Amino acid sequence: MDVDIAAAREKFLNREFDTKAFEVTAQNIVEYARACGELAPKYTDPKHPDFQAPPTFASSFIAGRHLPQDYPRFGGLGMDAGKGIAPKAPLRPGSVTGKSHIHDIYTKTGRSGRMVFTVIRMELFDQDGTKVADADTRVVSREKPTQ
Amino acid sequence: MSISKISEVEFGAELPVFKPDTGMDNVRRFATAAGWNGPRFTDHEAARKEGLPGALVPGIMSQGFLAAMIHRWAPEAAIENVDTVFRAPVLVDESYHINGVVTDVDEDTGLVEIDLTVANDAGETRVFGTASVRLPS
Repeated sequence: MDVDIAAAREKFLNREFDTKAFEVTAQNIVEYARACGELAPKYTDPKHPDFQAPPTFASSFIAGRHLPQDYPRFGGLGMDAGKGIAPKAPLRPGSVTGKSHIHDIYTKTGRSGRMVFTVIRMELFDQDGTKVADADTRVVSREKPTQ
Repeated sequence: MSISKISEVEFGAELPVFKPDTGMDNVRRFATAAGWNGPRFTDHEAARKEGLPGALVPGIMSQGFLAAMIHRWAPEAAIENVDTVFRAPVLVDESYHINGVVTDVDEDTGLVEIDLTVANDAGETRVFGTASVRLPS
């Protein structure tokens, strides 16, 4: 593993760098679900006994800080390379807290040079402290090839 | 035909094609609900001023389309994870279709793996996704 990546992993992995509170309303859930094309009443009808947000809803939460303050840039501005969501429990209307940490740092090297991937994981907890989802964002920084 | 239990799922089976609503009105509704109502998602002209080819369908909306497609195919499916790779922009007011194929079926664990692609009418893949879903036995 590259020296700078090993050092960044040592310094940043699994260290919480942001906490943010969110408020989820029934109206937000219904509008989100309908816009995505969900048909099931448990996502579209607040009166349904198991009313909850669709499983990808937690991907929409935006952290207060995207990366730790002193996180290296690895040669360029990061671009959104993808998102992952792993629901753990139903997400219902109410307060949700997101706690963010760097989950992984890795590289891929191709003809255009090295790309550094940073996986930012926001762990989401409901007002009872139950974990409702892990929401991952992959950011890629593409280094310019050396001449 | 909708799926209700894992024994009905075959390796290699294709999910019914889903054509999501990527029209501006629907994207604005989504953006407001999700709190992603920046002009690059809700205004073609503003997006072009940012150097984009037009307003973008948020990546998280494409992710939501994938989940909805799975639920239409298997209403009882519990989604364990959805992972998406954004290969190219998905543009508001352009037409897209989503294809899905079952890549693994494990009747012991109840888990089904699905590959999903969001493609435009030219057949160009814009978003690639994988999902793991749990189905009743």
